[in-house]
Amino acid sequence: MKTEERLPRESLLWIFAAQFAALLPNFAFLPLWIVGAWGFAVYWRLEVFRGRRDLPGRTVKLLAVLLAVGGLLLSYRHWFALEPMVALLAVSFTLKNLELVNRRDAFLSLLLAYFVAATLFVFEQTIPYALYGCLCIVIITSALAAQLGSYSASPRRALGLSLRLLAQAVPLMVLLFIVMPRLGPLWAVPQNSSGSTTGISDSMSPGDFTELSKSDKPALRISFDGPVPPPEQRYWRGLVYSVFDGRRWSLGVEDEGGQRQWHRSQRPLPEVGPRYRYRVIQEATNSRWLFAMARPHSTTDGVVETFDDRLIRRAPVYGRFAYEVRSWPRETLNDVVPLSAVERRRNLQLPRDGNPRTRTWIRELRGRGLDAEKISAELLDFYHRQFTYTLKPPALGGDSVDEFLFNSQQGFCEHFASSYVFAMRAAGIPARVVAGYQGGEWVEQEKYLLVREYDAHAWAEIWTPARGWQRVDPTAAVSPERIRDGLQSAAADEFMEDSLLPLHRISILNRLRLQWDMINYRWYQTVISFDSDQQQSLLKSLLGDITPLRIAVLLAIPAAIALLGILAWLWFSGRGARAPVTSRLYRKFCRRLARAGIERLPGEAPRDFARRVRAERPQLAPMVDHITAAFEKAAYSGDPMAEKQLRRLLRRFWPMRTAGKS
Amino acid sequence: MPFSIPGSNSIASRWRELTERWLSRRAPASHNVTLDHSKLFILPTRAGLAFLLIIALLWLLGTNYENNLVFALTFLLVSLFAVLPVHTFANLSGVQLQLLHAGSAFAGDYAEAQLRVGRRGGRARERLRVCWPPEEGALFDLVEQNEATVRIAMPVVRRGRVRAPRLRVESRFPMGLFRCWSRVDLDVEFLVYPQPKSAGPLPVGATAGEGNSEHRQRGGDDFAGLALYRPGDSLRHVAWKQYAGGRDLYSKHYDSSTDMRLWLDWDLLAGRDVETRLSNLCHWALQAEREQCAYGLRLPGSTIEPALGPSHQQRVLTALALFPVQGSL
Repeated sequence: MKTEERLPRESLLWIFAAQFAALLPNFAFLPLWIVGAWGFAVYWRLEVFRGRRDLPGRTVKLLAVLLAVGGLLLSYRHWFALEPMVALLAVSFTLKNLELVNRRDAFLSLLLAYFVAATLFVFEQTIPYALYGCLCIVIITSALAAQLGSYSASPRRALGLSLRLLAQAVPLMVLLFIVMPRLGPLWAVPQNSSGSTTGISDSMSPGDFTELSKSDKPALRISFDGPVPPPEQRYWRGLVYSVFDGRRWSLGVEDEGGQRQWHRSQRPLPEVGPRYRYRVIQEATNSRWLFAMARPHSTTDGVVETFDDRLIRRAPVYGRFAYEVRSWPRETLNDVVPLSAVERRRNLQLPRDGNPRTRTWIRELRGRGLDAEKISAELLDFYHRQFTYTLKPPALGGDSVDEFLFNSQQGFCEHFASSYVFAMRAAGIPARVVAGYQGGEWVEQEKYLLVREYDAHAWAEIWTPARGWQRVDPTAAVSPERIRDGLQSAAADEFMEDSLLPLHRISILNRLRLQWDMINYRWYQTVISFDSDQQQSLLKSLLGDITPLRIAVLLAIPAAIALLGILAWLWFSGRGARAPVTSRLYRKFCRRLARAGIERLPGEAPRDFARRVRAERPQLAPMVDHITAAFEKAAYSGDPMAEKQLRRLLRRFWPMRTAGKS
Repeated sequence: MPFSIPGSNSIASRWRELTERWLSRRAPASHNVTLDHSKLFILPTRAGLAFLLIIALLWLLGTNYENNLVFALTFLLVSLFAVLPVHTFANLSGVQLQLLHAGSAFAGDYAEAQLRVGRRGGRARERLRVCWPPEEGALFDLVEQNEATVRIAMPVVRRGRVRAPRLRVESRFPMGLFRCWSRVDLDVEFLVYPQPKSAGPLPVGATAGEGNSEHRQRGGDDFAGLALYRPGDSLRHVAWKQYAGGRDLYSKHYDSSTDMRLWLDWDLLAGRDVETRLSNLCHWALQAEREQCAYGLRLPGSTIEPALGPSHQQRVLTALALFPVQGSL
């Protein structure tokens, strides 16, 4: 092996630092044995470095490979996923560490580290992760720079060098980021399916939404193109529960399939224009449903509209996802969709028995000959008069609707929605529970609506022959503030009571949190969700029109600037270093003499020159002698005093004037 | 000439010939060369190609996951890859090479040249390598000092005046992903002596003296007697046995009865081919010099009178080195 190929001493630690940085966020989900093996391999290699141990022999290496393969086979069942891929990379790091001998191994290890750092972004795209990713890149690049050893391998210099190189690369990166076309996925890739479902789930039983009200995590960020709906219209529909088993509301069997989505031809878009146009950025839910106001339509790829006026996505939302929506509020439409027999049966379904008191009461109301609207009004009035809205409702037993309506009479949105829909169905009116979010906090600076988990809400929809499906929110009858001003003002005393510190009461923290959310929103809008549409519009706004010529110009101008910069840099740093002060002073002396008519010949030694001056201009002789002596002393003995003296002498040396006077 | 390349019409050698000719026009031989854009070449190394492969993989990852952060990283690495050659190039551009001294060597050994490598401007130059491939050559930095003196060696096989091939000056700074190099002809010429090959003991007295060689010569093989030791006598000839026996310090004196002077004669080695003869003569010359025994050289067409000392040795070895290459004599 050539000596140059052997790893310089500094580089080992750099490699381990780079591997550690790239793997650190993955330690959370990697099997423990991989983490342990990696640590052990590093320890072994360091022991080799200290000379206490030898590199493992062939048998040990073979054994390690077999163990690793076996371990991976045992740890992972599904191979077509991201985690096993990262695990495989981590294992290859580990095994490579056992034979980290020459520079080629080091390069390989570091290039792999770049890849591992990139997989980090597939898991998380938040700002902290992005910053951490930058840190990783800097460390890996420094490690690469330190591989060559010698002067630049010391930690500070390698770090400085890599920062300088990366800083120079950033402008081009930004340009490429903007202009490089984005192709869609070339093939289906495994998605990150770790992490449990958060937020609203596919079923609702009493207490679920109370849990949600304890979380202030952002759920949606919505920006509007045009009018912003008033607070009482901000119902973000996500799920429709139509099956009730006496306690739990759920979606029903066939719902999760695609068969309930509309075909464009079945239900053409309304002829009138949409009232609201907006863009929703949804946090990861690991489920397929999206959130929009009724009746929605989306042009975003992979988003389809369902039978019951919702949007769902073909693939679950594993990361933040943005979609464009146009909404036609139902009251603006006058086409009443008839209810099919299947739909009618679905939305009238009730358990065979249970909740007898409610059923009796409703029968009584129907006996008075009231129609759907009247019964609904009666119910809402009942809520309004007797019920309280609370985040801490008492627990309910088997006949939950009965207990709620006639005993406890305290509840949260899901209690009201559930009991209302039950009662309406009992009255023979098609009804369903809708879950989603209601309201949201308007962020004025960035012009978007921030919807948090605690804005989760459940309400009802009933169907009447005259108006079709219409929204009824029983909670609004009890607590209009909830709809108008949000949960925080509706249940001020109870709001976020369980959190460790009542941070939401400190206004400055609230402001800071909002600021942070705004930054996040910006980040997401500009970077994460930058897709080919945004690319087109940005290019259009930059260039006016997208033609190959203009794109070429856009690329050529920065390229030309960069090229000129590089040339200038090469020119200036390649030019001779500034001459020392002493020689500059001596040159000044020569220039003055030249003006007086005595030119120094090229290559003439100072002393020879002085002799010549003495011969040609005797009257200058004393000064010239002094100056030459001072120069020689300053230049060759490095005497700072002599330099000062030379300066002083030159100040009085004006051969032109002397020559003129004589 | 002995180096007729086998299959010299093959493509590889044609190519080599063409590039050499092109280089000799582009960068003619000179003792003093400053590297600039006209002499520098730059290409990615194998690590650089692997880096491109990683970029391609990252692009696939970013495309398939529609992940802009992965894209950003991909483009950052692409940009880094675009920035690096500038640094690698700047690291070599403006480096000045000057031949200080080209030494001499024996065939089969390494010939060493001394170069002065300086820089134009104050920019630090790191990890410069100067070598005659496939030798490793010298690896050095110009960071704090403005110039360095480096010694590089190449193996020499043939005796005579050997023109060194073009030097390779290269650098992979800063990240090893690009290699910038130049092929510099510093007009280095080595004087290569024949490879010393033993031909038995020194041929003392083997040659009949020519002309007036009747006088006895000191420093032969035959013991001539003892004389009192005088400062300056060789310690090797001190009669230690007698001294140990309690007597004064004596020197043993030798002389040669047949021929007094040592002649390294071409004709002594008749029957061997030219190069072997020269090698043998070379070996003798070295041996004689080591034993401090004055020697002369007789070659067809030239004679060097017996003497001792470095300059004499130099003359003798040079004569051997430059002995014309001939088919037969």
